[in-house]
This record gives sequence, structure tokens and C-alpha cells, in this order.
Amino acid sequence: MNLASPFSISLVVITALALLGLPIGLAMLCGSILYLFMAGLDMGTVAEQFLNGMYSNYVILAVPLFILAAEIMNSGSMTERLLRFCNVLVGRFRGGLAQVNIVQSIIFAGMSGSAIADAAGSGRMMQNMMTREGRYTPSYAAALTAVTAVVGPIIPPSIPLVLYALVSDASIGYLFLAGVMPGLLMSVLQMGQVAWTARRNNFPVEEAVPLREIPRITWRAFPALMMPVILLGCIYTGVTTPTEAAALAAFYALVISVGLYRSLSAKEAYNALLISTKTSASIGMLIAGSLVFNYVVTIENIPNTLRMLLIDWELTPIQFLIMVNVVLLLLGCVLEGTAILLIIVPVFVPTAQALGIDLVHFGVVVVVNIMLGLVTPPYGLLLFIMTNISGAPVKDIIRDCMPFLFWMFVCLGLITFFPEIVLWLPRMAGYGA
Amino acid sequence: MRSSSARHIFEWLRSRAENIACAMLAAMFVAFMLQIAFRYLLNLPIGWTHELSVVLWIWLVLFGSAFVVRESEEIRFDLIYGPATDRARRVMGFITAAALIVLFGVSLPAVIDYVTFMKVEKSAYMKIRFDYLYSIYIVFAVAMIVRYIWIAWLAVRGQAPEAYDPTKASSGV
Amino acid sequence: QDKTKIRFSAVFSEQDIRAEMMKKFADGIGDEFEFEGFYGGMLFKQGTELVALQRGNLEMGNIAPQDISNQVPEWSILTSAYLFRDAAHLQTFFDSELGEEMKKMAEDKLGVRVLGPTFFGTRQVGLKSDKKINTPADMAGIKLRMPGGDSWQFLGQALGANPTPMAYAEVYTGLQTGAIDGQDNPLPNVQNMKFYEVMSQIVMTSHLIGFDLLTISADTWNKLTPEQQEKVQTAANEAIAWSTEQHLKQEEELAASFKEKGLDIYTPDLDAFRAHAQKMYLESDLAKSWPEGLIDKINAL
Ligand code: NA
Ligand code: NA
Repeated sequence: MNLASPFSISLVVITALALLGLPIGLAMLCGSILYLFMAGLDMGTVAEQFLNGMYSNYVILAVPLFILAAEIMNSGSMTERLLRFCNVLVGRFRGGLAQVNIVQSIIFAGMSGSAIADAAGSGRMMQNMMTREGRYTPSYAAALTAVTAVVGPIIPPSIPLVLYALVSDASIGYLFLAGVMPGLLMSVLQMGQVAWTARRNNFPVEEAVPLREIPRITWRAFPALMMPVILLGCIYTGVTTPTEAAALAAFYALVISVGLYRSLSAKEAYNALLISTKTSASIGMLIAGSLVFNYVVTIENIPNTLRMLLIDWELTPIQFLIMVNVVLLLLGCVLEGTAILLIIVPVFVPTAQALGIDLVHFGVVVVVNIMLGLVTPPYGLLLFIMTNISGAPVKDIIRDCMPFLFWMFVCLGLITFFPEIVLWLPRMAGYGA
Repeated sequence: MRSSSARHIFEWLRSRAENIACAMLAAMFVAFMLQIAFRYLLNLPIGWTHELSVVLWIWLVLFGSAFVVRESEEIRFDLIYGPATDRARRVMGFITAAALIVLFGVSLPAVIDYVTFMKVEKSAYMKIRFDYLYSIYIVFAVAMIVRYIWIAWLAVRGQAPEAYDPTKASSGV
Repeated sequence: QDKTKIRFSAVFSEQDIRAEMMKKFADGIGDEFEFEGFYGGMLFKQGTELVALQRGNLEMGNIAPQDISNQVPEWSILTSAYLFRDAAHLQTFFDSELGEEMKKMAEDKLGVRVLGPTFFGTRQVGLKSDKKINTPADMAGIKLRMPGGDSWQFLGQALGANPTPMAYAEVYTGLQTGAIDGQDNPLPNVQNMKFYEVMSQIVMTSHLIGFDLLTISADTWNKLTPEQQEKVQTAANEAIAWSTEQHLKQEEELAASFKEKGLDIYTPDLDAFRAHAQKMYLESDLAKSWPEGLIDKINAL
């Protein structure tokens, strides 16, 4: 690639501006404008892509609403009641609360199809629980919340799997089932890592709860604990779409905080709204910035250049899968996940098919890969979101992510080389029969 | 005396901007609840709520970024920026501000041209002209230019960007 | 002399028959042109290609007639239910004098030239429930997902259903969970999105002959020499004819394959549906912008 080309220069400028501290969404807007200017294209396109990209991405609306739900939960006494209940459940183990973060992510993964919504929504709640009274450092809590949120779109429902089905023609129904085991495997590996660190770093043990207190604490937390059940119930009985479920979560949190727990004053409610508004605006700017930059990547024909390269090499299925993993992991470090899924992955699908790789298996490998890209520096959306939520420096969060990243790579390796882990459940349900 | 009353007005305006942005998110939430209720409870699906929520989301992001979100609340890559000294951050702040002012400024005529062109289209349900719906982008672009001129000015005057934190500025009021 | 660069944007995926069609088109226009195709809505989002053409950010696009009718209300007649009988009728219309008039209108008002209609399948109603549908009355109370926007929702009403908007990506789960009772799409979409997994029947209402328009911006067109224009138009005609044939073949195969998968596929009382729909359209505000007498002339083609 020509180093003096408009594309290379705009890439360098985005990186430089971001490193010099310009908010990342704005850095991507600036770089894209520079590209359009140098390429002699209509600079109005920056507004066009920003506005139309946001206008047609309905599912993103779940993000501000999940943030709102979490803020309401935090403002009322829900978080506190859940925390007490968690003490009862696993507080007696070393690093108990960290384990709760993992279990909680599995539960939330069953309600949400977006890792970003998970981190911005339930993740915010976990962040507050873990850092309250200095139990864990903000960066460790943020790192754990980021890596556990990764499971969100692997366990169904899953927006990325739907997008993959769209570009590959693989069955959504079977893809959803195929995500279950890899998601659980990843969570189990994370639990192992937490248990090990907990022993080594002497993580806090929550005070043992007297036996007679348990029914009362459980009862007090019960309405809050019912939230995933109610949400899942509403999604699976067709009361709401997965996107609308985010609004329902906020509504449910509001009803029990105000009606049942009587713990939310008007001032607190407004404050929750204000924080959600600010967080939504700054996260929205980041998403929009990547939408605009996506246009530059597309018009530069990066996907086609890649495909031409692929045809020249003659690879075995295993070599091909390894190559796809490496490429996607590298791209995941610098690009937005949805863009990779919609631009790069379609380039690989025909080759995968020609090599006899099962497209459901391939889909899960690809989506796990892209989800890992959300926590790999320097460009990891979950890292930025957790930076925003926790206030911890991004480099500390990245440091604390490292051990988890290792195990997530192990998980990726296992599902790449042992398709049975992925395909077992779909086959039980009749796939390929 | 004069500067303190100017600051007072500035803070009052910011609070009103916060009120407006909050109203947008609240309206979005209500639109979603209406949508669920009308489809599921009343079996009367409505579509305009869908459109309203998307429009509110765009306005929330652009209006919020322009007038509500403070410098210290932005998502940024703070690997270098965070630990930098005040002096270094002044230089960094000036460079990024200059880049943003120039690039946003250069693209502004084209952006205005695009938004005004959109008068030819109307939204599907509420039949609102798209140049009105999208006008907020122009407001955002102009506000960002003004804001970063201010940041650059402060950097030249000897104030590092982080010190321009309205939370601290308003704490005395 | 420099090659003429043609950037083309469409919502359909690179695996779609229509992407193949564009490849044939690109081969057909030869190497005086540099053709770059962008698929899957990656360059411009659905419904935004027209403005991109008008503003000179795109040379060619695959545009929905609904998008043209946004700016040229007369065009809304071409989006109404039970207007065209089949793909052949659609092609006949665009080749006719009447079609030329409509194309001229788009060229004069929007600055885009329509090369031809790209047929992509006939819209059929697919339902989760196994209740038999024969007339529009049987559709009463059925929550039928239709694309967003008044004109689409009106189409749902014209079928007698209770139309509900929902994002395309949410339709599969919506059907699975019962948030909606049905959807209306051509059979190839039912296949691509796996809707058949969560439906029990397809009512062959054939209420809308689905087509987009292969368009080129007037700016680009007018800069071509007459020979080049001829070449582009011929390539478009040939590619479109090929694609239409492929789609018809595919629809036939898909109907058989869905039947094999256990779906109930049958044709309802089409006359009852047509009468109900055309009556509703003619009584609505939409019909006010329709060119006088055009509907009868199209029916007579
Ligand atoms: Na978590
Ligand atoms: Na999920």
C-alpha cells in the first residue's frame, strides 16, 4: 500500500489525534474528513454517513436504554440488595464477587445480544458493586466486566450471529444453539482464572451471613433477581423484541425502585437520567465515528484487495482457519467489530465453504474472534466503554485484562480445532441430520 | 464581577441544555414503552414511535456531545494523554484542537450543503423534512469548532486542557 | 482518455443473484469503464443511495421505487399492491410508452436515469399459525410485519392484516417468539433469513411484484458518448433479463423445497385480495398523486 495515499495518511492522523488525547469518536471524524478532502470527494459525506448510519441502526437504541436501566438500578437500592444476596451465594469464597460478575454475565448474555449493551448496562451495575468500599480496584473490576461482557453475544440471543447468518446464509436457529457451549466454556475458563488470582492476591472474602438472615435477604432481593427471568420471559413469549427489552428493563427497574423499594427520590431519578444521557452521548459519538470511518475503509476497497490476496494462496482448512483467526484478531485490534463482520467476513465465507468448513462452526469462530476484538488494545470498544464507566485509566484496564485474554485465546483455539464443541448442541437438535 | 456573572449565565445555560438532553432520553424511553404497550397489550402496532426514538437518539448524541458532555467525560485514549505533564498536555491540546478546527471548518460548507439538500426527503411516519431532522449536525459541527477554539485559546493562554473542567469551574458558584 | 469510473451501491449481498447480474453488466460495458460494486449497504445505507446519486457521490445504484416516490409522488402508483401481475408484466410496462413517461419524469425531477427494473421476487405472506387464509377478511387481527413507513404499513392494511413495523434483523426472533404472527417477503428472502424455520405456511398472495430500479445518475449518463450509452443500456437489458430468469427459476425451486420441509403452500382467493387492495388504494390519499387513468392503462397492458 502506498504510504503517501490519502488512506494511509488518514489512518496515521486518526491514530495520532487519538494518542494526543482527542476523544476517539472525534478523531475518527477528523481522519475521515481529511481522507475525503485529500481524495477529492464530497466532505458532506461525513454528515451523510454519520446521520444515515445512526438513522438505520435501530438495534443500537438498546444501548442508551440499558444504560438508563442500570442507572436506575444503581440509584435505587436494587444494587445493594443484589449485593447482599450475592454475599449469601458466593461471598464466602475468595474473590466471590468477581465470580458473581462472571455468573451475572452468563445470565445477562441470555437477555441481550450485544456485548456493548451488556457492559454499558449490567456492567455498570457490576462495576459499582465490585468497587464499593474498595473491594476491588476500579481497573480490575472494569477489566473483568469487559471480558465477561464478551460472552454476551456468544450465548444467544446474539446480534453478531444474526449479521453473520445474513452474510453467510447459515441457519440462525442453529447458529444460536452453536453459541451456547463456547460461551459457557469461556465463562468456565474465566472462573478458573479468577479463582487462581483470588488465592494469589488474597481477594476479599465477604463476611459470612448468619443462616437466619438468608431468607430475609433473599426475599428483599427477589424482585431484582426476577428481572432476568421477566426479561427473558418477555422476549421468549413475544411481548417485546430484544431491542425493546432494554426499555422494559428500565421500566421494571423504575417500577420496583419507586413502587416496591420506595428508594428513589425525584432528584436521584433525574440524576440517573442525566448520567445516562451523558454516557449515551459519548458512547454514541464513538459508534458514529466508526460508522463514518467505515465508509473510508469501504470506498478504499480494502475488502476486495484482501480477497485477491486469498485466491493466490492455496491453503488447507486448518491453515485457512488459523489465518482467519490471525487476520481477524489483528483487525479486531484496530477496527470496529460490526464493520469487520459486514466487510471482511463475507470475503472469507466462500473460501471457507469451498474448503468444506462447516459454516455454522465457522460463524461461531468468527463471532468469538470479533468479540475478542472488543477487548484487545489499542482499539477495543469494551475497553473504552469501561474506561468511561469506571474512570480507571485504559492502560490499567488493559493490564488487568491480560490473564483473561490468554484464556479467551485458549477458548478460541479449542473451538477452532475441535468443531464438536460448537456443533454438539446443534446436532442434538437435528443439525446436519 | 463581570466574569463571574458571565460564568453564572454559562452555567445556567448548561443546566438548561442538560434538561433538554434528559428530556430526549426520557421521551425515547416513553416512546419505547408506548410501542410495546400498543403492540402487545392493545394489538394496535404503531410505527411512529420507532421513528421518533431513532431521531431522538441522533439528537441526543449530537446535542449532548455539543452542549452537555464535559471534556473530562469524553471517551479518549489516555495511554499518553493521562500521565502527561500540564505543559505537554497544553501542547497536545493545542495540536488536536487546531486539527479539529481546521478539518471541521473546511468540511462545514459541504456539511451544510448536504443537510440543506435533504429537504427533498421526508421521514416515513411523521413526515418531517430531513433537513430539519438533520440540522442538528450543523449545530454540532459549529459548536465543536467554537468549543475547540476556546480550548486552543486556553492552551495558548497557559491553561492545560484538563483544567478546563466545568465541574471545577462551577464548584465555586 | 481516462476510463469512466462507475461506483455502484446496493443493499443486496455479494452472494445475491443480483450481484452476479452486476458482474455481467460490468463485463458487458467493457473496459472503457472502471466498475466498482459495493454490496450489502456497506457504502450507502438502504434508501440513501438516491440522494448519493443526486449529489454526485455515486454513479449507479439499485434504488427502490419507494425511494423515488418519496420525491416524485406520481411514482407511488408503481409501489401499490396488485399492480403488476408478474415479472413479464413489469418488464412490459417499463418497455412501453407509459414506462418511458415515468422514467422521463424521474430523470427530469431527480437527475437520475432508470436503466430498467430489477425483479427480485414476488412478495408472499408467511405465517406462523396454521389458520387457513382465503380472503382479506381471514387476515383480520394478524400481526403482519411490514417494513417501516406509512406506505408499507398501508400495504399491510390493504391485505386486511394488522401491520406492524419491525427491524428486518428482528423478524426471525419475532416470529419465533410470537411478537409477530407473520411477515411478507419474496421466497428468496424467506430462504436467506431462514424464516421458514419459524413459519408453518406460505399464503401465495403475490401481492407485490418486488423490483428495484437499476439507475445511473444523469450527470454520468450525459457525459457518455451515444455509443457508450448504447453499450450501457444494452448491458443493463441483458443482465436484467438474465437475473429475472434466475429469480423465477429460484422461486419455483424454493416453493418446492419449502413444501418438502413441511410448510403448507397454497394460493388464496386472489380476486378477493386484488379487489380489496385496489379499492383501498384508490380511496386513499396516495391515489391522489397518481397520473390520471394510469392504473387502467397498466391493467390493460
Ligand atoms: Na459481567
Ligand atoms: Na446473548
